[in-house]
Amino acid sequence: MRVLEVTDLQVELLTGTSVVRAVDGVSFHIDQGETVTIIGESGSGKSTTAMAILRLLPDDLAVISGEARIGGQDVTGSRKVIDKLRGRAVALIPQDPMTALNPIRTIGRQMTEAVRIKYPDLGRAEAKARALSLMEQVHIRNPAKQFDAYPHQLSGGMLQRVLIAMAVSTDADLIVADEPTSALDVTVQAGILDLLLELQEQTGIALLLITHDLGVARLMSDRVHVMKAGAFVEGGPVTDVVDHPQHPYTQKLLGAIPELGPWVDPGASEPLVKEASHG
Amino acid sequence: MLTYVLKRVGQTVLTAFLAVATVFVLLRMAPGDPAANYAPPNPSSEQLEAIRQQFGLDQPIPVQFWTFLQHLFQGDVGTSFFFKRPALDVVLERLPYTITLAVAAIVVTSVVAIPLGVWMARRNNTAPELGANIGTIAGQSMPDFWIGFVLLILFAVNLHWFAPSGFDSATSIILPTLTIAILQIALISRLVRREMVVNLASPYLTVARSRGVSERALTWRYAFANAALPVVTALGTRFAAMLNGVVIVEVVFNWPGVGELVVNALKQRDFPLIQATVLVTVLLALAVQLLVDLLYPLMDPRVRLGEASS
Ligand SMILES: Nc1ncnc2c1ncn2[C@@H]1O[C@H](COP(=O)(O)OP(=O)(O)OP(=O)(O)O)[C@@H](O)[C@H]1O
Ligand SMILES: [Mg+2]
Repeated sequence: MRVLEVTDLQVELLTGTSVVRAVDGVSFHIDQGETVTIIGESGSGKSTTAMAILRLLPDDLAVISGEARIGGQDVTGSRKVIDKLRGRAVALIPQDPMTALNPIRTIGRQMTEAVRIKYPDLGRAEAKARALSLMEQVHIRNPAKQFDAYPHQLSGGMLQRVLIAMAVSTDADLIVADEPTSALDVTVQAGILDLLLELQEQTGIALLLITHDLGVARLMSDRVHVMKAGAFVEGGPVTDVVDHPQHPYTQKLLGAIPELGPWVDPGASEPLVKEASHG
Repeated sequence: MLTYVLKRVGQTVLTAFLAVATVFVLLRMAPGDPAANYAPPNPSSEQLEAIRQQFGLDQPIPVQFWTFLQHLFQGDVGTSFFFKRPALDVVLERLPYTITLAVAAIVVTSVVAIPLGVWMARRNNTAPELGANIGTIAGQSMPDFWIGFVLLILFAVNLHWFAPSGFDSATSIILPTLTIAILQIALISRLVRREMVVNLASPYLTVARSRGVSERALTWRYAFANAALPVVTALGTRFAAMLNGVVIVEVVFNWPGVGELVVNALKQRDFPLIQATVLVTVLLALAVQLLVDLLYPLMDPRVRLGEASS
């Protein structure tokens, strides 16, 4: 099943005086259970592509043309289409978990809210039970305690697990993850990637992954697209692109990445709560 | 938490004491003799001296202050020269009028400024928002006595909708309330707008939007709930300031509040009445400020839980 089909997507950003074509005719697709990665240097237009597909760019900033079909429905036209898909068919895992939650509401309130967007008929207790089981599913220890915590009381890695749980809570067909580990400690990164792989195995969810890290791309992806200045310069199965890069830009990106070594599950050593809040 | 409250109460008492002490000394160092206001026409120096003695003004200032303090600790703020009654009673009689005016003004301000500010933030950079923006800039740069005179001339003198001054009926409160509120609406709505613009553009809001949270919930439950923290603080501070600062508006509209009382007391050099007014309004304003400061940790878990662990 085709979960996402992007055809000749263009995004022009209106920046006061000038117009920047941040995404310049990009086409790709993702099937069920697949992970497709967009990789490229900073400023190449990776986030803009993802945010345009989710329609999270303000109308007075971005002009979108081309086509992006989520589950067959084109989201580039009326916002009404994406409004019905967000939190139901498609979900986002953000780059920086530390700023991604409402700072004055508990984790639990925000999780039950997310659960009830997809399942509005659930009662309070049922939504809470589902939230707690989701927190267990993403390996948050002592979920009942974290449920009542506020975002500032959790570490970045734990918050990212919460945000992944929220994305999973929607039973979406597609998760967009924009650099899901780049704001986290190196020791925590592998645990989060591991979790994403595990969840994908369990649920068969499709993943649009964005990264500038070829090691991450190689670990996670079925296919990769290499992005440069708003356009794809190369794409295909991950092994082909990594082992036989055709474009000099890809070769340059590859040269910058050290070999990825084996690791022990860092989730086990990850601190549950930030040091500071032990006080 | 308890030590914090005690510390703040201590600060409040100290501040009130310093305010009254300063006023006490300044009044007595200022030129002019109160006795002249309360003596018969063309008084003899003996008559003036007798009045000074009666008011205790013949003593050196430190002695007067010591006597004042002794009485203060017994709950006696002094007797008004003019009313010949306990000054505190006179002030407390007028206080409800000032509080009513301040409450009315802060309620009108909140009810208008919050939706206006939220609306301006959501319509940021559109033509109607630009109009509202210019309007609030104009509002915050007009002095309140000027707003007062314009409203008076327009609605009372020309249109005869309201009585021009005093406190005759329930509608008398409308013009003075508006006079105070217009400036406050301009200031608070701009604060709300600024805070909302920041919160509406923040990452947590975008992520919540990606989860399918409705725009209405994003505006109120997310952005406004966060923007409300500094707004509530500002409203509290404004309210505290109004309890002291509605003097000009009360005089313009002849409103029988504390502000109008203190202006007359100054004219008549009614020292005890001025001291009592300062004491009461300063204490009241500080108490409101204390309440607002205590409210803040209740609204912000980062402050509340940060304090609990340290
Ligand atoms: N809000 C914005 N206003 C103006 N220009 C923007 C804005 N956001 C992005 N751009 C521009 O669009 C281009 C693409 O940016 P984008 O954030 O999509 O890159 P990216 O590949 O995600 O980079 P990074 O790896 O740093 O996240 C850049 O040239 C950037 O300067
Ligand atoms: Mg980016």
